[in-house]
Amino acid sequence: MAGLELLSDQGYRVDGRRAGELRKIQARMGVFAQADGSAYIEQGNTKALAVVYGPHEIRGSRARALPDRALVNCQYSSATFSTGERKRRPHGDRKSCEMGLQLRQTFEAAILTQLHPRSQIDIYVQVLQADGGTYAACVNAATLAVMDAGIPMRDFVCACSAGFVDGTALADLSHVEEAAGGPQLALALLPASGQIALLEMDARLHEDHLEPVLEAAARAARDVHTLLDRVVRQHVREASVLLGD
Amino acid sequence: MLQKREKVLLLRTFHGRTLRIVREHYLRPSVPCHSPLCPQPAACRNDGKLLTSDVTHYVIPDWKVVQDYLEILEFPELKGIIFMQTACQAVQHQRGRRQYNKLRNLLKDARHDSILFANEFQQHCYLPRERGESMEKWQTRSIYNAAVWYYHHCQDRMPVIMVTEDEEAIQQYGSETEGVFVISFKNYLDSFWPDLKAAHELCDSILQSRRERENESQESRGKEYPEHLPLEVLEAGIKSGRYIQGILNVNKHRAQMEAFVRLQGASSKDSDLVSDILIHGMKARNRSIHGDVVAAELLPKDEWKGRTTALGESDNEDKASGESPSEPMPTGRVVGILQKNWRDYVVTFPSKEEVQSQGKNAQKILVTPWDYRIPKIRISTQQAEALQDFRVVVRIDSWESTSVYPNGHFVRVLGKIRDLEGEIATILVENSISVVPFSEAQMCKMPVNTPENPWKVSPEEERERKDLRKTHLVFSIDPKGCEDVDDTLSVRTLNNGNLELGVHIADVTHFVAPNSYIDTEARTRATTYYLADRRYDMLPSILSADLCSLLGGVDRYAVSVMWELDATSYEVKKVWYGRTIIRSTYKLFYEAAQELLDGNFSVIEDIPEFKDLDEKSRQAKLEELVWAIGKLTDIARHVRAKRDRCGALELEGVEVRVQLDEQKNIHDLIPKEPLEVHETVAECMILANHWVAKKIWESFPHQALLRQHPPPHQEFFSELRECAKAKGFSIDTRSNKTLAESLDKANDPSDPIVNRLLRSMATQAMSNALYFSTGSCAEEEFRHYGLALDKYTHFTSPIRRYSDIVVHRLLLAAISKDKKMEIKENLFSNKELEELCRHINNRNRAAQHSQKQSTELFQCMYFKDRDPETEERCISDGVIYSIRTNGVLVFIPRFGIKGAAYLKNKDGLVISCGPDSRSEWQPGSLQRFQNKITSTTTRGDSVTFHLFDHVTVRISVQASRCHSDTIRLEIISNKPYMIPNTELSHQNPLLLKSELVKEVTKSVEEAQLAQEVKVETIQEEYQEYCQTKGRSLYLLLEEIKDLALLDVSNDYGV
Repeated sequence: MAGLELLSDQGYRVDGRRAGELRKIQARMGVFAQADGSAYIEQGNTKALAVVYGPHEIRGSRARALPDRALVNCQYSSATFSTGERKRRPHGDRKSCEMGLQLRQTFEAAILTQLHPRSQIDIYVQVLQADGGTYAACVNAATLAVMDAGIPMRDFVCACSAGFVDGTALADLSHVEEAAGGPQLALALLPASGQIALLEMDARLHEDHLEPVLEAAARAARDVHTLLDRVVRQHVREASVLLGD
Repeated sequence: MLQKREKVLLLRTFHGRTLRIVREHYLRPSVPCHSPLCPQPAACRNDGKLLTSDVTHYVIPDWKVVQDYLEILEFPELKGIIFMQTACQAVQHQRGRRQYNKLRNLLKDARHDSILFANEFQQHCYLPRERGESMEKWQTRSIYNAAVWYYHHCQDRMPVIMVTEDEEAIQQYGSETEGVFVISFKNYLDSFWPDLKAAHELCDSILQSRRERENESQESRGKEYPEHLPLEVLEAGIKSGRYIQGILNVNKHRAQMEAFVRLQGASSKDSDLVSDILIHGMKARNRSIHGDVVAAELLPKDEWKGRTTALGESDNEDKASGESPSEPMPTGRVVGILQKNWRDYVVTFPSKEEVQSQGKNAQKILVTPWDYRIPKIRISTQQAEALQDFRVVVRIDSWESTSVYPNGHFVRVLGKIRDLEGEIATILVENSISVVPFSEAQMCKMPVNTPENPWKVSPEEERERKDLRKTHLVFSIDPKGCEDVDDTLSVRTLNNGNLELGVHIADVTHFVAPNSYIDTEARTRATTYYLADRRYDMLPSILSADLCSLLGGVDRYAVSVMWELDATSYEVKKVWYGRTIIRSTYKLFYEAAQELLDGNFSVIEDIPEFKDLDEKSRQAKLEELVWAIGKLTDIARHVRAKRDRCGALELEGVEVRVQLDEQKNIHDLIPKEPLEVHETVAECMILANHWVAKKIWESFPHQALLRQHPPPHQEFFSELRECAKAKGFSIDTRSNKTLAESLDKANDPSDPIVNRLLRSMATQAMSNALYFSTGSCAEEEFRHYGLALDKYTHFTSPIRRYSDIVVHRLLLAAISKDKKMEIKENLFSNKELEELCRHINNRNRAAQHSQKQSTELFQCMYFKDRDPETEERCISDGVIYSIRTNGVLVFIPRFGIKGAAYLKNKDGLVISCGPDSRSEWQPGSLQRFQNKITSTTTRGDSVTFHLFDHVTVRISVQASRCHSDTIRLEIISNKPYMIPNTELSHQNPLLLKSELVKEVTKSVEEAQLAQEVKVETIQEEYQEYCQTKGRSLYLLLEEIKDLALLDVSNDYGV
């Protein structure tokens, strides 16, 4: 069998999308009542759950407290059933530590931490099903959860991945496309200002191609923003109905 | 707006577990339909190629049709083809990248009226695969569904025909929707394109090949080759005569098509087959490689094929197949391999351009072996580019029945292509010759002989051995500069008036104990390898060039055979064998000995032994020596005459000596010429060998190593007889005696080359002489046909042949047996000896091949730097010695080259000779007769070449990247080549033999004088590498007599 053709001559990807098209995104905020904030997101078959506690006092060693801003604590985990093969993923393995750090960087850039000195904000993200673009799904879910918790942010943080196949940039890679081994770029964007909260790239890519790939990722992130914005407004509308205003 | 669906795939992982994969599948309301009839072109976003509007219908091929009949769909006449995405994916997954790329290119080709419709991404066309539905059914269903949608999409304005190979689908969908027809592909072609003959023909041939493939796959399930039968079945089959066992021999010039199974062992006696079995094509060869022992099954008689007799060039295989083959011969196919004979192969990587054509997947590379007979080998390597200019050794790992080529791996680099060292290394590896230097462990057992610590005769040995130092005048005759002197001679008159002739051979076995390190190493090497410019010793140089070498003026151990001969009749009265101590007085070289024999004493200046003597004693010594040489010659003549009466053959071989200049460039190629002294020495050696053979056979009738030369098959002589008839001679081949006599008579006084050629043809017809163990065959099979002796062995060159070492041990054991002493030597049993003989024979063949190949290499290098158009040396006189359908075989006496010259070139033009006898290429035809070939041009001129005609040929070199270069001959005139000056007169064959000898020596000496300085430098180099210059001429002669002659013409598709 010949290798999979990631982008056909007619411009279709393996799953029938065109190069710049996102997977179907569905999201809900406020899924858990006990947490300060929570959200659930599906990006195609990638499903993530985010829960936010805080801001609250520093737990554990007080020495970790920052005098001028809040401490953002992120933890990432993924379910044993999240991939095709069932695999136990213990807490604190290299991959989840790294992901936790990346999330922390992203949200330290977005949350107005200086409003809550000497306090702590916990963000817990769990991936229920992984089908490519886990980082993006985590960021998007966490954004919604942070908003649900009512923590002030500069802007939405919208993330999306992008790849590069046969001279074309592909937005929002699925697992099949990621597994093919091409370059993969993850971008977290603050869409209003166009500032980049985090940019990560593995594998090598020629400098000349970076621009279109980055562009594709940014456009996809803006599309994600449109969708998330709709979800937030919908949620607010529902909440206000419940409050009886 | 996209619709999301999910596809569930069940895949099998590498570990064998089943993996459930869920993939998203997005459907869209519109995909480009590429039809001019589209009602909403904006929604469909039809950009790029559109179907033409002037068609009567659209064709939608089913997945199976696309897979099998893509070549027909490629016809530009067929218009309005819609390939469904489902069908394309089926091609991609099941037919591989090559066919898929063909399909992609077809779709991109603007001239071809076909489009792809992405039906699986269209929300109305997509049908999920149902539970339990087979892939094929689902594909057909999807395609039909898409066809219906497409028909409606075009607002029912254009009928759609779906062509399928699935009968059920035709039944089921045939009349389901009006306007969408489902018919078979054959039916479609018949009713819509009845005039498109090419398509019909192609369709038929595809159908047929598919049917064949299906038939085969019933047996082999889609494999490239049928499976080999299990060993038990093969053995039983061979026993019952159903299969035939033999060695596979591939025709070098038609390696793709022709191979022969040479019958072997008992099976040839049982069946009435005389000739070899032809294996036609790679499929029938079934993964066996040249040299394998295979089991073959005969095909029915009506499938027998003939072999081709035309001169084939390796690069125009197909042309040769157009020639009419000769009458059919037994043809078979290989059913199993009994013993694989895979060795290391030297290969060349494809050059850069070729790599690109081999496709993207560059890790797997097809490399071309140096040996034409070996198929290409698939190698996995990343270094292909780096290895491009090198000769590389690879090993074959496996050859699966599913693979066209064997798989192998890279072993090591030998050297650059076209570099002398690299090419020599290639020759060595190809002949499985390993020439690593002797190891420390092997050398430390060796005795030492240094100025500080000279080697001495030990007192014990002195007591046990017969001391000939005082009593006998012992001398050796060898080529100039020879270091490994293994034979010396002596002759004297006894007190009773009888003569005593002695042959003293170096006592190698004294130094080489059985099963010592050196012994095992020598056994593996089996012989010293002589290449054109170097040699690889069997024994370390301390033995071969020093302690075992019977040099002048030093004490040496020897094994002697001494005969007491009658003074006048030279009848053998008594014979004595034993160990001796000798001191050789003179170390003569052939030319000097010949001068002394002819009474020319001027050469004594060249003999170092005479230098320090005063006039008187010198005279006395000289007389003594001259008498001895004269007597020896006399005895030798006598013995020879006796052997001639029994029918000994003298056969001709042409050897070429390579003359190098100071830069090691090849200066000239000189054919070697024999002297009478050579014959004298050779005769004495034959005598010694013969007597030793008798002795060891008498003592050990079941485990003696002898050398046999079986009488040849009469049918092989037919060509010789016919050729001789062309010149008006008749050759009687009934026995060796009649053959020898008639060969002597077949002498054309005006052209002695005729006789030489006839002799070499006789040689070719004969089988090779072989070593054997006396326990393994009957006494009447011991005979040596060529030498006309009932028993023969090799005894006289233990320094460079392992067989002689074995014979020495046998002889010494026989002596102790006579003395009733216990036998110290542990001798080989019959079984072991047989095995050893096979090994030695094998190594000898390798030695001969490597020598021949290295000579050819030098010939090519000699002619390579010369421009054949201008350089005079490249034009020479040649004699036609065989006629083929498209050319002649030519022998060039000047250089000793044999080769093919074509009368018809690749463009189909034939040779014609104008009035000035210059030849040119003209359109025309060839006609071959028994003894001549006529080339007639369309203008009506004709030229005829007879057997033994002299022609002028131009010699050039045909370079080849992957293989060795070859000499190319081209007839440039049908008149003999006129020698422009007397410098080359030594090739003038009209001179009498002895005159000729003088002529040669003179011219050679002149040439040597002229470049004395150069020669010296070369000699130094030889000294450095411990190599004697050239090989001993005695050795050559003996080899000729042993009928181990090699002939280039063997290789011209004979």
